[in-house]
This record gives sequence, structure tokens and C-alpha cells, in this order.
Amino acid sequence: MGDMEMDGQDNKGLVRFFESRFGTHEGLLEDVMGPAVSKSVDDADLYFEYTTARTLSLEEGIVKKGGLHVSQGVGARVISGEKTGYAMTEEVRPETLKDIVRTARAISLDSASGGVVRISGSPLRTHSLYPVGEEELDVPVPEKKDLLVEADRIARSVDPRISQVMVSVSTEMKHIMVVRKDGHLAVDRLPLIRVNVTVIAEEKGQRQTGSYGYGGRIPFSEVTGDKVAHAAREAARQAIVNLSARPCPTGTMPVVLGPGWPGILLHEAIGHGLEGDFNRKGTSAFSGRIGERVASPLCTIVDDGTLSYRRGSLNVDDEGTPTQRTVLIENGILKGYLQDRLNARLMGMSPTGNGRRESYAHVPMPRMTNTVMLAGESDPEEIIRSLEKGLYAVNFGGGQVDITSGKFVFSTSEAYWVEDGKIQYPVRGATLIGNGPDVLTRVTMVGSDLALDPGVGTCGKDGQSVPVGVGLPTLRIEELTVGGTA
Amino acid sequence: MKDEFLGLLDFVVERAAHYGATASEALFLSSDDLSVAVRKGEVEKVHRTRSRGIGLRVFNGRSQALISTGDLARESLDRLAREAVALARETAPDPFNGLPGTPGTPGADWKSFGILEDLTELSQDERIRLALEAERAAFGEDSRIRNSEGAEFQTTVSHRALVNSEGFSGTYGRSLYGVSCSVIAQDGDSMERDYWYEQSHTFKGLPHPEEVGRHAAKRALSRLHPKRPRTVTCPVLFDPETARSLVSHLVGALSGYALYRNATYLKGREGTDVASPLLTIREDPWLYGGFGSRPFDGEGISTAPKALVERGVLKTFLFDSYSGRKLGRPSTGNAVRSLGDVPQVGVSNILVASGESSKESLIKAVGTGLYVTELIGFGVNTVNGDYSRGAFGFWIENGEISGPVTELTIAGNLDSIYKGITGVGNDLKIRGSLASPSILVHEMRVGGA
Repeated sequence: MGDMEMDGQDNKGLVRFFESRFGTHEGLLEDVMGPAVSKSVDDADLYFEYTTARTLSLEEGIVKKGGLHVSQGVGARVISGEKTGYAMTEEVRPETLKDIVRTARAISLDSASGGVVRISGSPLRTHSLYPVGEEELDVPVPEKKDLLVEADRIARSVDPRISQVMVSVSTEMKHIMVVRKDGHLAVDRLPLIRVNVTVIAEEKGQRQTGSYGYGGRIPFSEVTGDKVAHAAREAARQAIVNLSARPCPTGTMPVVLGPGWPGILLHEAIGHGLEGDFNRKGTSAFSGRIGERVASPLCTIVDDGTLSYRRGSLNVDDEGTPTQRTVLIENGILKGYLQDRLNARLMGMSPTGNGRRESYAHVPMPRMTNTVMLAGESDPEEIIRSLEKGLYAVNFGGGQVDITSGKFVFSTSEAYWVEDGKIQYPVRGATLIGNGPDVLTRVTMVGSDLALDPGVGTCGKDGQSVPVGVGLPTLRIEELTVGGTA
Repeated sequence: MKDEFLGLLDFVVERAAHYGATASEALFLSSDDLSVAVRKGEVEKVHRTRSRGIGLRVFNGRSQALISTGDLARESLDRLAREAVALARETAPDPFNGLPGTPGTPGADWKSFGILEDLTELSQDERIRLALEAERAAFGEDSRIRNSEGAEFQTTVSHRALVNSEGFSGTYGRSLYGVSCSVIAQDGDSMERDYWYEQSHTFKGLPHPEEVGRHAAKRALSRLHPKRPRTVTCPVLFDPETARSLVSHLVGALSGYALYRNATYLKGREGTDVASPLLTIREDPWLYGGFGSRPFDGEGISTAPKALVERGVLKTFLFDSYSGRKLGRPSTGNAVRSLGDVPQVGVSNILVASGESSKESLIKAVGTGLYVTELIGFGVNTVNGDYSRGAFGFWIENGEISGPVTELTIAGNLDSIYKGITGVGNDLKIRGSLASPSILVHEMRVGGA
């Protein structure tokens, strides 16, 4: 990781990046932001973004598609009390900047004529969680092609029943600059890489899919032959396992979740319900419950935006607030919410660095970063052996939650029926449903094997997608409803 | 405006040819969106977004590459056209790649679709008033409506233009007005949220915001004090909203891409029964006021109405040029194209033919079982037909609704679900690009307490 001096240089470099691209010198920014200021305006910001993304994908052994995507724009936001005015433009010029600030400003109904904004010194960045240079993010297309072709070969070599292999690699570099009405200036450069392998296995007219991916805010040097091969083998293994899957039993039963990606449970059951907006409005099943027991004393859950190189991590959030590690649940007691600036101010709390947005075209909201349950003391093998009759689920597809009633779902993509502590057979995909505020009160064992997910999670809220992470040790829950067909 | 963006597309296609592309296709999208949101009687958000972008697909013989950008300066577009051609030299050739080959001649004049009107000049105050009316009506419905996620009034005008090096050039636009309202009913320690929305291409066609608010309130109230059903196998009645999602999986399984990848449970089933004879599904790209109406598809191929499923029999899979060529089939005019990706298979308006049963007679026909009004989660696999989702709704006992239920799952296999349809309602309403009446499935596995 780079030292602070280097980071300072880097920050100035990012400011210059936007200056040369959009002409956003300090004088212009102060000029543009001035009219956003008045007594009735509580907060205002400009968010500049420039993102370049490249994708390459393979199907049927051929690298069929290459893509390059550039998106750029700026969003202006003015907040007065609980009101937000927002406008954006993709043509960044002094006139359009003034125009979007004027449009956003119309929300505060006073007619005061504006004030003075002074950009305060050099931009600060307290973390350097993913020091990946532009030149470290990508490699020439022929090199990437070789990796994809090799992944295809390896997946097919796992088993002759693998009939289709699709591989893709995407690299993205996002540059952001946030200018706030208090003169605070924040910049960041966010790398993001994702490798994905999906396979289809067929046997006697039966078809199953397997999928595995990994990634994060990492340099391309992490996209090695070994790691891509592992992804290919893992996708193939899942599809082959599922070929022999039997119908999943149905009803309320004990469930053991494997480590890593099954942490999507935390994201759906707990995380969304603790986002500041729902709690300020009193519409979450967790509203007004800070200090109450919502989980077994074995459970401590944090949202941590400061994990190095992780997909859900951020140096600063999209409002310029440095990210942090926020304790949500400590030994079963509800401790805190995830906040952006608007909701923190209205609730008399501090922002937690969770104000995120998909792009310049979107308003920030409280969102998760990496949501993790800390390790417990049980031996994971022991946890599986403890299951008399129940489900052991190790891989999942997506999940969803109804914030107000607290009901959440997540769907298995690899799960096994267990009897007398022994795995019996794999079961077909089933949706699990539970109630967020009490599901974790039924946790009776927490493993010592905390693992973070491989780095492919994307969270959707109000039509906005952002990259997130989860982490979970092996976990035993006494009662969860399993939506099987048997 | 129109000439300006067609001119830009011509420029991009010309630049691609200049740098050596053997063929190319350029797409322009723009949208202008204004939404106002209110909550508890106060303005909460005014959001204005105007965005536009260009997506360029270039071919170097049978190799292709794609670029997209929101930076429409000519010098930037010129640079990207050059990069796209360079990238197309590095991807591998695929004999099935290429433009459609037959320039489309529009089969219908989109101006007769009723999908674009000059946005009635609505002032900000008027927009706010409409949103406030929806929320006020919800709060006025019952004193147990105690909280709100707010109400929103939104207008969007979007334009799409497509030009390719084979001489196709086309454009169409769409206007959309929408009202939505989401409120919370509270009674004792029971708290339930529900919402409702309406949309229309014309301001006149939009139902009154008060109706939207009242309906949202009624839905939330009806969910208070839910019980958990027992785990049981029983009939399941899908209301029109959830029936739409049920039918969408069948349509998804018809994609030509899924077909050539052997990734659909419907492979090899054309001309055979894939559903109960009660189920007929048509695609109508020319539907007047249809939310998916379009004169040409994502590759410029003219659209036309067709049957997908006729009395349970699968009539056709859906192809764009690429997936069609892979299987020796003509395109069915089902390419959809976004800025950031090459064409995929998709649909315009999907209509499930109305049946004869009233909602009441369908509830009677259930006897004892589930009436589903909301589904959550992603537990649907069209590769093998596995279906398992979280559900909310009402329990039906002896042909009558006995009360709300929650925290349950419904599961089955798509093939047996569609074949097990024993009732189709007479309550078809066009509320989105996919429209279905209520659908009764005679048996599914319900997971509960």
C-alpha cells in the first residue's frame, strides 16, 4: 500500500484529471456552488464521474465479444430539511453546471441569492485501500483472450457432461470527485475487476448450471491462470453436483449455512433493515430497536467499508465521507445504523460513510459496503455433524427483502440434505424465507471459519446497483423455512 | 433534434467505415426524466435527469466489438470508432456474426401506436399536487395508515434511433406518465407496507392519483395481522400482478440464445404442449398505447404480431439474427439492444389471452389453497424449470378468503405449473409491457410453518 505522501500526490493528480477533462478549476467550482448556498440549504454537492469499462467474453470456445464503455457526467444536489433537489448532465461545461445547480436549487423555496463557497485546501483521503494504477488494471486483449480460452478448456476437462462454457472478464476504472457546499473536496479512483465462469452440464436430458466468479478492487496481476482455472473448476463442479440433485424437502427446519457467500443472509435479513433512510422514516422492521436483542449472543455483525482490495470497499463514500467499520449488532444487541449525510443529520447521528450511488445520474442513499459476521468458536465440521435432519447450504443465487415486514428470501444454488450429521444427497434449488428481526435469535452455533465472499456481489435498491461484499462463518440456525418441492 | 442525432449516427458509422470496419451499426438513446416525490404531505425529492448515449457495434469481417459512450463530442466519437475497429480485429471471428442483411421496412407507422405525445405542460406545482393527492387519499382511507414511503409523480420522454451500414435508419419515441404510492399500515405490533402504481403514455390516460393512493392503502391494510400457513400441497391462484411474473419465465425460456446453448427446459418442444389448453400468449409489438410497442427491433428488423403459445401449444422460439443463424432460422424480430451490449433476445408487448372466470369463481375453484399477491426472490431456473419463490397473499378456505398469510414459499417445476393451469381470469388489464389475467394452478408445494 502506498504511503501518505504518495496518496497526497495521487489526490492532486485526480483533481487535475477532472480539471483537464472538464475544466473544473477551483474558481469555477466555487462559482458554480455559490448559488446553492443559502440559509435554508442544509447541504449541497456536485459529484463528477468518469468511468471506463472493458469487457471480453467467450462462448463455445470463441472470444466472441469485446466491449469498451465510457460514461461521464456530473450530478448536482441541494438539500433543504428533508427535501432533495437533483439534476445531472453529461455535457460538462460551466453553463450546464450552473444550470443543474439552479434546477436542483429550486427545491428550497426561499429566494435568497446564494453565498460564498471556498474549496478548503487539498483533498483528503484517509484510506488507500486499493492502490491500483491505471496501467495495473488491464492487460492487452491477446493476453486476456488466452486466459478465457484456458478457462474454457479447464472447465470442459472437469467432466464430459459439461456442454457449454461461458467466460467473461471485465475491468472498470471509476474516477470520482465530490465538492460539498462546506468547501470539502474528495476524490477517489476505484478499480473493479470481475471474472465469471458459467457452465451448463447435461446428462440424459437433465440440465444444470454452475457458476463461479471472483473479483474486487484489485490489479489485473490477480487475474492469474491459477485463479481463473479455480473459477472454471468450481463452476463445473457445481453443475456436476447438481446433476444428481433430488427435490428439496419443504417446511421449517434447521439449516446450516456454509462460510462466505451465504453471508447474503446478513445482507437481506439485517443490513437493509438497518439502513438510515428506512429507520428515520420508521418504516423498517428494525425501527426504534437500538439496544434491543435481535440476535443470539453468538452474533456480532459489522459493515466494513475499509477492507483492502474488496469489492464492497471505498476510500470515501459518494458524498466524500471516509468509510469506516460500523458495528451493527454486537453479541446479539442492535447497535447502529448505516448512514448517509442526509439521514444522519435528520436523526442527529454521524454519517458512517455509507452514502452511495450507482452513478452521477443517481441520488446517494444509505447502502451497505462489506457486511460481515465475525467468527465464533465452533468447529465447522462439528456444526454439520450436529444436524440431525436439515439442510446444509453452501452456495446461493440472489436474495430480496421486504423492509417493513422484515421477511427476506435467498435461493440456494448448491445445498445438501443432511441426516444424522452426514451429508445424504444434493438438493435442487430452493428459496429460503425468514423474518429478519428474529432469524438470528435462533442461531445456536457460529463457526471459527469466517470467510469473505469471492467478490461478485451487486446490491439493488430503488433501481440503483452498487458493488457489495459479504462474509460469514459456518452458521447453524434452528428454524428457517425451506421452499422445496418434496 | 431528430435530425441532429441521426446525423451523429451517420457520422459514427462513416468513421467506423473510414477506420476499416466492414459493417457497423449505431444506436442513439436519450431520455428526459422528471420526478417529484412527496412524503407525509411535504415535498421530498425533485429529480431531473437528462441523459443520452451512443452505442456502436462494428464488424471486421465476422469479428465484432462494441463501444458505448455518453461523451458525444465528435472528436471523442471519432477516437472511439477507431478503438472499436481495433478491438474487432482482436476478437475471434464467428461465422454467424453480422448485420441482419435485409434492410427493414417498417411494417407499421409507429406514430399510430399512441406511445408519444407532447408532454402536456405540467408545472412543478401541478406535479407536486398530483403526488400529494395520491398520498393524501391513502392516508384518508383508514386511520391505520400511519406512515408512508411517499408518493411519486414521474414523466419520461425517451427517443431511440438506429442506423446501420446496410442503409437502415429508423427512430421512435415514447412518453410516459406515472403515479405511484407506497404506504404503511400499522395496527398493534403488526406493520405492513404495500404500494400501487399506474402509468400511461398520455396524461389523459393516467388514472386519477387518488385511485392509486386508495388502492395502495387497501393493499397494505389487507395484509395486517398475517398468519403463516402450514406446509402443504394445494392449488395456487396468482393475481394479475404475480401472474405476469409467472408468464415472464415462460417467455424468457423461449430465447434463441437459451435454445442454442441447450439452456432452456423447452428445448425441442416447438409444436408440442407446453401449457394447459387454457393458456394462449401473443406478442403484439403494434399494440395501441402498449408499453413495449415498437416499429422495429434492436437490429432494425420490422416487427409484427405473432402467437407464442396457442391453447397450450408452443408456436415459436424467439430469435434475433445471430441466434437465428446459429439454428438456421430467420429472425423473429425479437432483438433488443441496449447501449452497452450486443443484441439479445427480448419481447415487445406480451398479452395472455383473457379467460372466462371471474376472480370470485377462481377463488371458489381453489377450495382450500393460496391466493398469491406478491412474490420475492430469484429462485427461478429456466434451464431446468425449477421454481421456488417467497410469497405473500391470502389463505383461501372453503372457497373464501380467510385472511392474509406471510413468510411462505411456493415451489414446483415450470413445466408442470404451466400444464397445471386450470383457470384463467377475465380480468386482463394492460398495466405494463407484459399483461396477464389471474391464473389458477391446480397444485404447488407451499412451504410454511
